[in-house]
Amino acid sequence: MAGGALALIRRDFQLALSYRFQLVAGTLGGLFTLTIFYYVSRLVRVGPFDSPDEYYAFVIVGILILQVLNSVLAGPPTILRQELVAGTFERLAVSPFGPVGAVASMMLFPFILAVVTASILLLFGVAIFGVDLQLSTAALAVPAAVFGGLAFAPFGALLVALVIVVKQAAMGTTWIIAMISLVAGIYFPVALLPGWIAWAAEVQPFTPAVDLLRHFLIGLPLREAAWLTIAKIAGFSALFLPLSLWVLAAAVRLGQRRGTITEY
Amino acid sequence: MTPDAVARDVEEQATDVDTASSPARPTTLVLQGVTKRWAGRAVLDQADLVVERAVSASVIGHNGTGKTTLLRILAGLILPEEGTIALDGIRQEDDRREYQRRLGYVSSGDGGLYARLKVKQNLELWAGLAFVAPSQRRAAIERSLARFGLEPLASRRADRLSLGQRQRVRLAAAFLHEPQLVLLDEPFASLDDQGADQLMAAIAELTRRGGSSLACAPADRPGVSFDQAYVLADGGLHPA
Repeated sequence: MAGGALALIRRDFQLALSYRFQLVAGTLGGLFTLTIFYYVSRLVRVGPFDSPDEYYAFVIVGILILQVLNSVLAGPPTILRQELVAGTFERLAVSPFGPVGAVASMMLFPFILAVVTASILLLFGVAIFGVDLQLSTAALAVPAAVFGGLAFAPFGALLVALVIVVKQAAMGTTWIIAMISLVAGIYFPVALLPGWIAWAAEVQPFTPAVDLLRHFLIGLPLREAAWLTIAKIAGFSALFLPLSLWVLAAAVRLGQRRGTITEY
Repeated sequence: MTPDAVARDVEEQATDVDTASSPARPTTLVLQGVTKRWAGRAVLDQADLVVERAVSASVIGHNGTGKTTLLRILAGLILPEEGTIALDGIRQEDDRREYQRRLGYVSSGDGGLYARLKVKQNLELWAGLAFVAPSQRRAAIERSLARFGLEPLASRRADRLSLGQRQRVRLAAAFLHEPQLVLLDEPFASLDDQGADQLMAAIAELTRRGGSSLACAPADRPGVSFDQAYVLADGGLHPA
């Protein structure tokens, strides 16, 4: 199975390279975002942040995590739509690797690319805007990002299952990302959420993943014990990753039964 | 059920299927009692078919009789409502990966290639997805390029090929992993005489090594002939 996944990672890398300015343009776009939020952060002089620089470090890490999240959630449904329209999904579906493995593997390259781009942008943030990176723990952010990615992946798998069945998932993807931005503490601390929605910050894997990454990258204290934060992420992955793959396989079988699997 | 038991079961089924072919010969493909309905209309109605080893077969029929549906069911893209299909004694539902490893498929149309990838990169991708061993990939790709006269185009992007050249790349991908059965839906579309000759040579090479092919193709193309022909009509397959 690893051979099939590697073949698709290589394909996506080759496709990304074929658009010569895509990677540079993506990084430059991120740099603009970093710059905009630097000046927005100059306006922030409220608790729980002691200084604009503290908020800037907080929000920049949140935005970079959102970028990684986007790669797992918004990327695969878009890629699958393109595959269906171009007729290339049919080739994946008849391959020994199979449609479920192929669709699941569609998340890998966008995720790797997003982690690399986010790392580059974070270094820009350190070099240009003086983000106080915790060098002693920053390297732990890489395994933490992979760990978090496994927890985000079930959402991506469910969205591609939706594309297989109803051929569209753009609206669902936008909604999910907006909700996550709101309740996972991407732009502001979840402590600011009103009571009636505060529970939403605790019942998904994004909040603990964001907390963990901020802890490793900029030394922000965890809201809960480290073991509990990690257990929440691991528990979510262990429960929902197999479940989402089962749903994806069921969506594929439904498409095969209805004869719509390669339709768009 | 173990693979051996499945194989025995399928061989027994093959002897029961009423076709023009001799049941004593080893079979590659056995399709039995397959039914598929579109909007309530049965395009395949308890259809049976046995394709023996080392045989090239064709299916002919009017437009809309279900030829493409038949090939898509055999390729595993569509599930039938009823019936069983086995390839070398392996049912797709029992061992999907082994079933697909034995299969090559060229759909109708000109899709299935990554436009911005080069011809060789498209074939490398297919080799990876088909689980061709890394040590054998290079040779398999070179053989496939040579089989369809694609060496001069190996470094050209797929979106810069003519339709006929694209079709040859699609055929090269289907034959690349040395499958036991190649399904071809309108394979001569866009092919010039040279391309058609290359395809017939590839089919001949396939049958020489014991493989089989099943094509939905017009019967009247000059220089093209198959060992067996079936007519698909009224939901059933009948020897032509």
